[in-house]
Amino acid sequence: MAEEELRAIIQRCQILDEEDFKGEDFDLFQVAGQKCLDEGYIAEILEVVQNEKNTVIVKNMGWNLTGPLIRCILKHEQDEVKRKQGLKILDKLVQLCSPKELVLGLLEQIEQASGEQACPTILLLLEPLQEVLLKLEKKKAYSVGLALSTILNQLSLLPVPYTKQQLEEDKHGLGQCCVALPWFVRPFVDEVVEHMADSSNEDCKGLKEELLDFCLKSMKYPLLMADLDPLPEGITAHPLRQFATDILDILRDLRELVPQVFSQHRSRSENWDDEDLMEIGSNQHADSLACLSYMVFVQDGFGIDCFPVVFSPSYILQNNIVHIRVLLKRQEESVLSKGLALLENCLLRLQNNSLLIESLDFKMFIAASEDLVRVATMCPFELLRKKSLNTLQLCIDKFEEEGKYILFRCLLQRSNHPGVEAYIIQNIKNQVDLSLRKTEDSKFFTGYSLVALLDIAFSLPDGATTDLLQNSDRIMAALNLLRYLFIKDKELENRTCVWSELQKIRQTFLKPLQIGLCMSRAHYKAEIKNRKENKGESHTSKKMPSVTIAGKKVAKMTSHMELHVLQSALVTFDLIESILARVEELTDTTCY
Amino acid sequence: MAASGLPPPPPLPPWTPEELLLAGGGEAVPKREIARFLQENAAHRFLAEHKLLGQLKNVAKTASKEQLVAAYNRLFETQSFKGTESPGDVVEQVKNVQIEEAKPKETKPQEAPEESPPKYTKLMLKKGDKVNFPKKGDTVHCWYTGKLQDGTIFDTNIQTSSKKKKASKPLSFKVGVGKVIRGWDEALLTMSKGEKAHLEIEPEWAYGKKGQPEAKIPPNAKLFFEVELVDIE
Repeated sequence: MAEEELRAIIQRCQILDEEDFKGEDFDLFQVAGQKCLDEGYIAEILEVVQNEKNTVIVKNMGWNLTGPLIRCILKHEQDEVKRKQGLKILDKLVQLCSPKELVLGLLEQIEQASGEQACPTILLLLEPLQEVLLKLEKKKAYSVGLALSTILNQLSLLPVPYTKQQLEEDKHGLGQCCVALPWFVRPFVDEVVEHMADSSNEDCKGLKEELLDFCLKSMKYPLLMADLDPLPEGITAHPLRQFATDILDILRDLRELVPQVFSQHRSRSENWDDEDLMEIGSNQHADSLACLSYMVFVQDGFGIDCFPVVFSPSYILQNNIVHIRVLLKRQEESVLSKGLALLENCLLRLQNNSLLIESLDFKMFIAASEDLVRVATMCPFELLRKKSLNTLQLCIDKFEEEGKYILFRCLLQRSNHPGVEAYIIQNIKNQVDLSLRKTEDSKFFTGYSLVALLDIAFSLPDGATTDLLQNSDRIMAALNLLRYLFIKDKELENRTCVWSELQKIRQTFLKPLQIGLCMSRAHYKAEIKNRKENKGESHTSKKMPSVTIAGKKVAKMTSHMELHVLQSALVTFDLIESILARVEELTDTTCY
Repeated sequence: MAASGLPPPPPLPPWTPEELLLAGGGEAVPKREIARFLQENAAHRFLAEHKLLGQLKNVAKTASKEQLVAAYNRLFETQSFKGTESPGDVVEQVKNVQIEEAKPKETKPQEAPEESPPKYTKLMLKKGDKVNFPKKGDTVHCWYTGKLQDGTIFDTNIQTSSKKKKASKPLSFKVGVGKVIRGWDEALLTMSKGEKAHLEIEPEWAYGKKGQPEAKIPPNAKLFFEVELVDIE
């Protein structure tokens, strides 16, 4: 039936002149053609399309069939014969129809394909699309741009395969598409390169912009989300790593690689911290450029010779600190790990104790170190927490004394985390130790500057009522530092001023600490006595609400467990007190 | 971390104005106590502004009662207590750190000597115009080839093949401001427009102990460059 309808309309149009084609003719053709395709009469359509008498008809009306044709081809994926026929029809359409209309037709199909059909559709249409775009001759920039953004938009809806298994499976076809895309754009890149010197060629300029945009978008997604480390030898190829390599290649050919790597570098003077980030966020390519830096520096350009080997390590760090911050602000593991890797890579280029704060935007660097603290304390991934802390230590190690000093001071005041504070205080101790071993005084780790730092270290956030358990890490570190200072710095030398500050330290730190210890001890001892008297089912656990984690109810604490916790609190207090006593001992005989 | 932990609540004024200003007598608050209070509670920048840094006994001696009382009042007016410093403040302060106590052993921090012998040599291959020399901060454009001691070329921006497709352009950057290895910064400032030179750079002014493994530069490598300065902006 459908066949006959089609023959009828074909016959009618064969005798008409092109200008006489009416709207209803188009409609009839489309309906009939669509019906045929839907019912599987592909051979017939192929015949119609190949018939030279129908050239004019096909030229005008053919593009309307793209939708049903593509659906048909995808439906008969397994049928070798039908698929071949379908492709032949597509070829013919590409040959005969107006490129402009065909582009729209093809892109419409890509746009409408969803879920499982997205990648098969794209893969099917890349070749015809490329052919059609090339036919557009001088005015192709806009269409190429449209095509690329349509394709990338579709790809951005698919999840990025991350594990080795996911990459091998490539369930949604993202890997396959990514490998095909560089092939797709290659002729356009070549065209731009050929006319690079010709500044009057507007279309090529436009084309270059579109291609650059494509590269930037690709880096933002999927590349930023992918694990770009090489797979172990002998495993299947890594499509996303290949894609990343190809993107760098394209950027290099377009002569945009080095300029883009440096494009973020503007001097940031007064405003920083969140204001800076707003500026970065408003730069729509912030993510892309951060990914680019990661690819160039950490992955070493995937072996492509892409970056001049003349830049100083401190400049590389300076340039990348913006990108590092962009990455560290995110939550996804793939992004955070890239940020940490990039920072580590930049720092490892430097020798220890070599970095001067003047050589970079130091305030931004302090902000970055606070980002590290946040990741180290709040990120749910243990591996990243550890790495972040290690990277923080690496930062500290690379700076000269002045940088170290300022970092310590800022982090001590602003991190608000006893574990981090303890870590910094230990670092301070190491620095003071190094300074005392030298004969000349350090400008920052002896003398009055040090006192300003010690003031912060030897303080209790809430005076005598400070929660000693919560802050035990920090308090222990501070007491250890104090004990160390009194032992190592002779009273008569007083290079660290700790002796002259003794009164103040006693007043603001040691005495309140002693009081706090007494109070806490008394409180906990009373609690323990309470528990022991009310044996069996714990009193408090009756009052506590129940806690459910991942669908399983957490067992309530037994009275025995509670006692254990309380006892260990007492042990902590004992530890604190023992060091306190030692400090008192050391300072008892002083004349201060 | 944006708004990190709250600073501890500021202390309440321990003394009333009357107590402070009672002249002489046992009721008056001694200078030393006021000074101690200030040192314990005021932010570093406040103390610096009011000349209250240093050993307590010195401050108590040198500052007058009026000064101390004025500072005390100002402290509460401006709420400049410890723990209110922003990192910007810290950086500023450290720049202005003045070591108050005259410690006999105190020596100036060792500065790197300004005039160290240059750690590179230059051999002119082609003369420049001898008139246009780049200044610090100018943007220079150059062709270059870099080699290791054994002759391995580790980098170049000169296209050796005749493939037109990959035509390259000169490297451009701001000279004299630390963006490139020191050997380059120093050498280029001595070159005039059009000059081509052969440079041998000691590791200290190149990539030093670390080298750049990905770029095939080993640690402590002496680098050899041929550089042509084509333009200055």
